[in-house]
Amino acid sequence: MRNEKELIEFIKEKLNPLKINKLRKNNVVVQLNNSELVSGLNFLKSQSYSHLATISCVDWIEDNEFELVYHLFSYQDKINLSVKTRIDREKSKFVTIKNLWKVASYYERDIHDFFGVEFEGNDNMEELILENWNELPPMRKDFKTREYVDQKFDWRQYHGQE
Amino acid sequence: MDKSKMTEMFFGPNHPGVPGNYGINYYYEGDTVIEAEPNAGHLHRGFEKLMEEREWIKNTPLVCRICVMEPDINEMVYAMGYEAIGEIEVPERAKYIRSIILELARIQAHIFSIGGNCGAIGLYTAMQWGVLARDYILDIFEEITGGRVYHIYIRPGGVRHDIKDETFKKILDLLDDLENNRLPDVQKLIFENPTAQKRWKDTAILNQEDALRLGVTGPSLRATGLDHDVRKLMPYGAYDKVDFDVPVGHNSDAWTRMKLKRDEIFQSIKIIRQLINNIPDGPVTVDLGNALKYKIPKGEAYVKVESARGEYGYYMVSDGGLKPYRVHVRGTSTPLGLYGVEALLPGTRIEDVPVWAHSLGICPPEFDR
Amino acid sequence: MKEKYKNSKWQEVINWAQKRSLFMLHYCTGCGAIELPPTMTSRYDMSRFGIGPAATPRQADILIITGYLSTKTLRRVIYTYEQMQDPKYVLGFGSCTINGGMYWDSYNTVKQLDKYLPVDLYIAGCMPRPEAILEGFLELKNKIEVGDADGYKRYKTDYEYYKSNQENVLGEVKRRQ
Repeated sequence: MRNEKELIEFIKEKLNPLKINKLRKNNVVVQLNNSELVSGLNFLKSQSYSHLATISCVDWIEDNEFELVYHLFSYQDKINLSVKTRIDREKSKFVTIKNLWKVASYYERDIHDFFGVEFEGNDNMEELILENWNELPPMRKDFKTREYVDQKFDWRQYHGQE
Repeated sequence: MDKSKMTEMFFGPNHPGVPGNYGINYYYEGDTVIEAEPNAGHLHRGFEKLMEEREWIKNTPLVCRICVMEPDINEMVYAMGYEAIGEIEVPERAKYIRSIILELARIQAHIFSIGGNCGAIGLYTAMQWGVLARDYILDIFEEITGGRVYHIYIRPGGVRHDIKDETFKKILDLLDDLENNRLPDVQKLIFENPTAQKRWKDTAILNQEDALRLGVTGPSLRATGLDHDVRKLMPYGAYDKVDFDVPVGHNSDAWTRMKLKRDEIFQSIKIIRQLINNIPDGPVTVDLGNALKYKIPKGEAYVKVESARGEYGYYMVSDGGLKPYRVHVRGTSTPLGLYGVEALLPGTRIEDVPVWAHSLGICPPEFDR
Repeated sequence: MKEKYKNSKWQEVINWAQKRSLFMLHYCTGCGAIELPPTMTSRYDMSRFGIGPAATPRQADILIITGYLSTKTLRRVIYTYEQMQDPKYVLGFGSCTINGGMYWDSYNTVKQLDKYLPVDLYIAGCMPRPEAILEGFLELKNKIEVGDADGYKRYKTDYEYYKSNQENVLGEVKRRQ
């Protein structure tokens, strides 16, 4: 049973974080390098952080980077730990973690559908939620949804009472 | 795998036995499923993109439409995320009212789910009773908030308006009626019925190791023997001021999950009675200024609550502007509806596939968003 | 039916019989489907009007589009509509079928249902109460009696209009019977 301060000291001693801080009660965030992420997750999984809630992706268009966030939870410490890393927006490639948690293969397929990020080692990257989509991946910040709707669908014309 | 002897079946979107607009494509041989994969995405509306285009207050009527069986839980998580980043403290009376609304929503979701499970095996009388009992609870919601299904009552800062004393008396009368008249009838019809027991025992088994590996939460995990509940692990609202138990089962088949849902209804009735008898006076909302110009500083948060089916989480990022920068929705049945079909369904009989889908609580709009 | 029997007294008898036994296809396409179980069960009973659920499209008369339609569902709904036998009726349920509703700026939902399928009646609301659904059904029965519910005839005469709109949104739609 660790509280947030002991957890922060523990991670600073065992891993090599770029940034780590406590956001509020029960919520800690830590940022790691690209090359150390998979080994860091493997270590945390063995220290009782074995529940992977989901994987999210945030598009920071001014910094020209994508940020991948892995949300972990421990039933002993009762702390939500978010592990982040940043990848380049032009190349947008990363490694898969499906050898640690098999369920991550579907979360990565979802991120590929909406952001266009490729994951090496995960060979099932078919379209999961969209169908026959040929434009930019829709959750990127340079896809403007209102212009797309104006161009593709028409609006109903209302005539007042005569 | 030699597929020349297997038949392909589309347990597809247009089927009375599937819980929503969702499909499973599977190969079977004889009577057993060999390989399966999900066919999701029919209900996709692009919520996360729509939330980035609207101001903070305009997302409140949009968020409750993500999960249609239990819409109040989404409003609660959105408000909790906003208050966590902005460090806003909600008054005491508002916390009690929010917990009463959430427990009423949990009761009606469990009654509807028990009715739906019975419809999947052919016991249609129980389905009619379940939908009718849920309708009386929707009448109470209509008196408090104005709408039967979508309430838009919980919002950042508190709730929209106060509840009168006559409505509290009506809630207590309805709970007495449920506990003394309707639930004992349901007990005799479903839970002491040998045909239903034979159909549900030893079907749709989910053992503890698989559940922890996939990230399953809620009654499906508590049926395997662990008593994890977000209301006890990380209390929110007024749950740290009431006294209740968390029911746990040991067999992890469909029969145990049905009994757990019935036990949770009784625990929720106990919670609501304690909350109504001890509710303090005071204001019900914090004044946050002009609603169209809500603003919170830069930051991020991951918040979660316990819905009727399990853990529901939002990841919210704000960059200090008038609109959210990123909101990511993690539904309860995301691991089971997507990966669980590929890993857990092979080996079941084909007439048990609707029972599997209904009893594990798969709700397609949560992962389609 | 032979030509000499149309627009005669036989047609009135057939309309009278048809409006009293309608079968509704049990296909929940969107979020409006949560108000269908209260309408079908014992509180706001709809089988006292002669309306009941059917399981397959080949045996149904009414197709209810409950709420919004994503493009993936639109393809399946077109296949389902073309499998139903004449005479058949389409009901637009909720405000998402009229002009987009709550999701008016979404990239994945269709905005006007009228351009892809011929609609006989719209029921407004978000979502409509069970009493509003029953009133919609009674209005549909009046229209059948008079002979006004002719969406299926319009689909055959204006087929090129509907087909070009569908292919604009979906790409190619394979037709098979």
